[in-house]
Amino acid sequence: MSRQHRRKQRFKLKSFYVWHRYMGVGAALFVLIIAVTGIALNHTEDFKFDSRYVKSAWVLDWYGIAAPERLLSFSANDQFITLMGEHLYLNRREIDGNYHRLVGALYSRDMYVVAVNNSIVLLSERGDIVEQLRDSDGVPAGISAIGVDTQGNLVTAGSHDYYEADKDFIRWTRRPAGAEGVRWATAATVDNALADALRAHYRGEVLPLERVILDLHSGRFFGRAGPWIFDLAAILLILLALSGTWIWLRRRR
Amino acid sequence: MPRNLLITLFLLLLGPAAQAAVTYQTPAEFLDFAFAGTPPEPQVVWLTGERKQIVEQILGHPYASLRVRYWRAGKRSAWILEEIGKELPITVGVAVDDHAIAAIRVLVFRESRGWEIRHGFFTDQFRDARLNADKQLDRHIDGISGATLSVRAMKKLARLALYLDAATRQDDVTPTP
Repeated sequence: MSRQHRRKQRFKLKSFYVWHRYMGVGAALFVLIIAVTGIALNHTEDFKFDSRYVKSAWVLDWYGIAAPERLLSFSANDQFITLMGEHLYLNRREIDGNYHRLVGALYSRDMYVVAVNNSIVLLSERGDIVEQLRDSDGVPAGISAIGVDTQGNLVTAGSHDYYEADKDFIRWTRRPAGAEGVRWATAATVDNALADALRAHYRGEVLPLERVILDLHSGRFFGRAGPWIFDLAAILLILLALSGTWIWLRRRR
Repeated sequence: MPRNLLITLFLLLLGPAAQAAVTYQTPAEFLDFAFAGTPPEPQVVWLTGERKQIVEQILGHPYASLRVRYWRAGKRSAWILEEIGKELPITVGVAVDDHAIAAIRVLVFRESRGWEIRHGFFTDQFRDARLNADKQLDRHIDGISGATLSVRAMKKLARLALYLDAATRQDDVTPTP
């Protein structure tokens, strides 16, 4: 082999080595993202990424997650009971469970009485669930409004009739007097500070951390072009492996 | 047509995992069964003070509500209780007679796995079970592979019903929140 040929070979190898380095630097950031998120995904349950939620406003904005504009709220005992999406709140405290169709809420016999989901939820003053009363507990079907009579008894307006509960909310009987003397719970408007706090809380309970990590791992976090960019990074990694092996083999000769 | 067939097969495979709540027996049917067709009026017991602590000790966490409804006629009581198996609550009816379990039934099952606990071969093991001094069942209950969490929930509820039955036999059951 001539000297000129060897020089040409060395130059070729050097040029390949430079390309290899550029590819390495180019892929480094993606390797870091993929590796770190990959490790995180392998330990989702250990770190509870599936039950922890993203609170960061800009990430939530990036995902287009918005709180419902409409808040349905009832005022009782100077507190607000509010339904937002499927979340029920006593002031700022979220009540365990998923709810829909808030019909009314009031304060009676040292408890908050909330008619929701075709059932009645009794809450303590702190917002703990005392009991959830369903139709199997004798709660009248199709509640369209709740109120209290002059004796402080809970009254419900059903699809066909009016019913009242005993003092422990255990037994329900038809109310012969109908709607007479009943003060019905009516919707109230929450102040802006509470509404903003509830919206922020609602948004912070929607997006699991696991979703963001998965999207970072696949590139989807970066928009439509993200997966293509990560595909390109994967191709770079393949080329890096091949070129690294090739350089190593050439140097051994 | 083949595409529709594939989709149908896929949905069938997905079916058991995506099933909704299944009611095996309504609470009213269970109470009729427990009291031979004439259930007494319901009563409530508040889980406050020492009772709350013992319930937490039995379940490993607080009960979902602060008061529990029950039915009692003489030495027999019936309890409709809920406990989460893996992710969703399982509704269970327990009939207690003279400090021992007379019957335990799965009323509503909402989880995607573990429904085998509703069968008699499993629930019959609880018959005549009592609480020992450590508030554990006085006998071993064989588990079911693949239904570990549901079995665990069922055993906890059996212990809870026995404890509450004993607690409500005492004089101090008048509720105060």
